Amino acid sequence: MTATLEYVRASRWYGPVIALNDVTTTVGPGVTGLLGPNGAGKSTFLKLAAGQLAPSQGEVRVLGRPAWGSPELFHRVGVCPEPDAFWEGLTGFQFLMALLRLTGFDDAECRRRAEQALEQVALTEARDRKIGGYSKGMRQRIKMAQSLAHDPQVLLLDEPLSGMDPVNRRRIVDLVKKLGREGRTVLVSSHILHEVEAMTRRVLLIHNGRILAEGDVREIRDLMDEHPHTVALRARDPRALARAVVGSTHVLSLTFGAEGEWVTVQTARPDEFYSSVVDAAVEAGVSEMYSPDENLESVFKYLVAR
Amino acid sequence: MPIYEQTYRRYEARAPLRTVRFWPITREALRLILARRAFLGLLLVAWGQFLFRVIQIYVVTRLPEAGRVLPIDGRMFGQFLAIQTLFTLLLSIFGGAGLIANDLRTGAILVYLSRPLTRRDYVLGKLGVLMALNLSVTLVPGLLLYLIALALAPDQFAKWSLAWIGPAVVLQSVVTSLVMSLIALAVSSLSRSARVAGLGFFGLVFGLEIVRGVLRALYDRPESALLSVQADLQSLGNALFGIKDRAFQLPWAYPALVLLAVSLGCLAILRARVRAVEIVR
Amino acid sequence: MSAIPAVPAAAPADGRDVSRPVPFLRAARAVFDLSLEGMVWSRRSLLMILLLGLPAPLALVFRTFITRLPPRVGAFDFYGVVIAFYYVRNALPLAALFYATALIADEVEGKTITYLLTRPIQRVSVLAGKFAAYLATTLALALPAVVLTFFLLTTIRGWTGVGALVPDLFRDMGVVVLTLVTYGAFFTLMGVLLRRPVIPGLLFLFVWELLANAPGYLPRFTITAYLRSLIHHRPPDEGLAEIFAQVLPTALCLEAVGGMIVVFLAAAAWIFSNREYVLDQ
Repeated sequence: MTATLEYVRASRWYGPVIALNDVTTTVGPGVTGLLGPNGAGKSTFLKLAAGQLAPSQGEVRVLGRPAWGSPELFHRVGVCPEPDAFWEGLTGFQFLMALLRLTGFDDAECRRRAEQALEQVALTEARDRKIGGYSKGMRQRIKMAQSLAHDPQVLLLDEPLSGMDPVNRRRIVDLVKKLGREGRTVLVSSHILHEVEAMTRRVLLIHNGRILAEGDVREIRDLMDEHPHTVALRARDPRALARAVVGSTHVLSLTFGAEGEWVTVQTARPDEFYSSVVDAAVEAGVSEMYSPDENLESVFKYLVAR
Repeated sequence: MPIYEQTYRRYEARAPLRTVRFWPITREALRLILARRAFLGLLLVAWGQFLFRVIQIYVVTRLPEAGRVLPIDGRMFGQFLAIQTLFTLLLSIFGGAGLIANDLRTGAILVYLSRPLTRRDYVLGKLGVLMALNLSVTLVPGLLLYLIALALAPDQFAKWSLAWIGPAVVLQSVVTSLVMSLIALAVSSLSRSARVAGLGFFGLVFGLEIVRGVLRALYDRPESALLSVQADLQSLGNALFGIKDRAFQLPWAYPALVLLAVSLGCLAILRARVRAVEIVR
Repeated sequence: MSAIPAVPAAAPADGRDVSRPVPFLRAARAVFDLSLEGMVWSRRSLLMILLLGLPAPLALVFRTFITRLPPRVGAFDFYGVVIAFYYVRNALPLAALFYATALIADEVEGKTITYLLTRPIQRVSVLAGKFAAYLATTLALALPAVVLTFFLLTTIRGWTGVGALVPDLFRDMGVVVLTLVTYGAFFTLMGVLLRRPVIPGLLFLFVWELLANAPGYLPRFTITAYLRSLIHHRPPDEGLAEIFAQVLPTALCLEAVGGMIVVFLAAAAWIFSNREYVLDQ
């Protein structure tokens, strides 16, 4: 993988508080979710990549160059910051034009790109309204638009879905996924796990300034040997199903659901369980099966609690 | 599920509002301001003149001849309050510039107005902050000085001829504090930046004073004092304390009218600006 | 870890050189355009229009009422008072304090600084563009008022002899420009250096600059002493200034002022280029 963002033993502290602690990692093309609770160090991680902060120790490189003190990088890097802050007297179009001029485009090119970016975030009709009169979702979208308008190779998005309604949320998620498929490096920071899950399976989990885990959610899950997998099954005859599986040595516990149709199994070896349960499932009339902790939230909760 | 008619329904509040609702606003804002060391330093400096005047009173009671050079009379109190007016200016910038501006910027005004508070309560609460600060450098030291004069020189001060000094101190202090506070609040409500509001307040008050200086240089007429808020307050003070100063020799009604007009103008600005929502066109 | 190939960093079709920041002048021009919009069409500019444009209506009053209200000074002397006392000593330094301390501070307070610092431009071009916008705004307000005041006052008795006074007008306009540039550079540095530059700025203007009235070499440690020496008008001074007022040589004044502008702006640019801006979330 070509590394777009590189952190080499990067640390950052504010006085006595260590915000990022000896982080070594790389981020490559595609969408990567940067996850962690409030105060975990996500913003610091992102700001180091965005060249807004210098590392107290170590190195942070973007496209091979140091992030701090390399303004030329911003030809190819787009940043969508978290604060809801604008020059309120400007219209959406004027806002994009001003920032595109600062990126070195001539007026005709600025106009073309501004219109394209507005279309991408569905703000064309509101282009001539002052940002001061925009709703929260519109403000978030115009912020996204300014990060995309100059067609950057790298995108750093800090809470991009904040304040958006479900329709626009879906639109932005699809846009981010599309950008990832195009080979751009998109780093999305969020503390809302299901938002990130909707965009990518590749994550970087941060807690207390350190990286907890990184990679595919499923791979991380599989590596968590000590933590049993939970599988929930809905059957016509849940007791028959339970009798069929309880004898297996890898089944650690069984629980019946309150409504009487569900059986929840905890297993140390999920692959063995899945292959052994097929016949019993057919006989017991299993209509639904899922794993409640094959998701980011349970992975994260477990890793944070360790 | 039932579907309800979307017609007008009269709202009838059940619980009565408390009588004094603005006090928590004043209290919390004062607590924040007084926690700043720089501000406490400014308050200390503002009381410096009080110490000087106490020494002056003591010296005059011990050496009556000194009273010819530094007389203890209404003039002294008038001059005392005139100098303290400068400190009300600084306190109003320091403590008042951001009172409404910061709320407008952060949207905290919505938080205030979503409580059982009216806009009037909000303005009273903020005004209370500035009045408390300004009165602490005008009324409090002024009255204390008067009581000290009574205590140290009872034979001089316990006379009906000087009994009017006490009420004059109260009136001048209240008017000065109220006018400065209203102007500071009005300017604060016109901006979302405390810095801009502070400089704007200073520029307005000081700028008018410069204009008065220019006009005085040109025409040397006491009417030029009407242009400046500081000069109007000085004129009123001169009338209250019986000070004869050619530059401010106007019938007290004129500066009083100007100050009233300024105060009403400030209230009108506050009425227009203190709103939960600003419509952006 | 990823099968997605990276987008190759090809040279953009629009011809930009993405290996370098946007050229300084182009970037500064873009910042200038963005900042001018915010400076000119804002409520704070109303105050500046009043402050910097006030002499013109005063001159009109002077001209209109000259027979009914005979002034104490002649028309050209009044013009001298406006330039030397009103503009150079008070209004222009206040305008510089008002705008220049806020060049970066406004962006930080409004949290819009992130947009400027995440563009492919050198930070010094942000400062240059904003400083240029400040100059353009203040000069656009001050210079027309100076010219209008001059002609309103010098043509009261007709145009005869006005031509001989025009060189003074150009000299005064030059000093107005230098005053705004010098104080602007100083307050830009203060705005970048200090979190709360307003009170220190006011103390500098109204306490430190009083050294210009002191004897010996002390005036050379102020900005105003050099600027006052560059104009021919000498308004009647009072107090210490009447006794100790100095006129410094023109060459020295120009060198000192030029040096101050370069040093202050260079220092501001260096500090701004190396400072991290951590915005409170």
